Amino acid sequence: MPSSQFEPLPMSSGEPTPASAPSAQTNPIRDAIAEAINEHKVILFMKGTPDAPACGFSARTVAALQALDAPFAAVDVLPDPRIRQELSALSDWPTIPQLFVDGELVGGCDIVIEMFESGELAQALL
Amino acid sequence: MRMPSAEDIKQRIEAGIPGAHADVEDYTGGGDHFRASVTAPAFDGLSRIQQHRLVYAVFGAEIGGAIHALALKTGTPSKVQTN
Repeated sequence: MPSSQFEPLPMSSGEPTPASAPSAQTNPIRDAIAEAINEHKVILFMKGTPDAPACGFSARTVAALQALDAPFAAVDVLPDPRIRQELSALSDWPTIPQLFVDGELVGGCDIVIEMFESGELAQALL
Repeated sequence: MRMPSAEDIKQRIEAGIPGAHADVEDYTGGGDHFRASVTAPAFDGLSRIQQHRLVYAVFGAEIGGAIHALALKTGTPSKVQTN
């Protein structure tokens, strides 16, 4: 069984919304992201997929999770620029990848690798 | 707009965070991928996430824009990271 699963969010297959959609009342993309973060113990927002990362930082983060045999959900932010925009607004973190564990932002590539090397990542994923 | 140099990035971090010391490397030579090691007393008591957010805040929307990547290693002066 693969140690990771790629689960596309429904948002990328939705019909296009008007460019000037009011952001105050409803924000389906941000809601879908928040829901995905809450539903998965470990979820990685990345460029590309675990099998085909599209960026070295995403690739290194995936490699750290796989080295620990940690199951994780992954979301590719590339299909729609709004995913990245809404994710960063939600997390107050400007870059991709972003790893969440138990609903909390753990960090981007630098922090994940630092925590992997120190053993903290294995602890956090328990 | 002129591409920032590693020295520009260093000066901006040190100007933006009181007492900060930064070592910055432009690791592709292209003026858009940087690696920075930053120590600052202001990091004391903050989580790594919060420390990195302070550095990212110096650059605002330039992160992910003109600055494609800013890899960070942060710490307080008492716990200087060698490497």
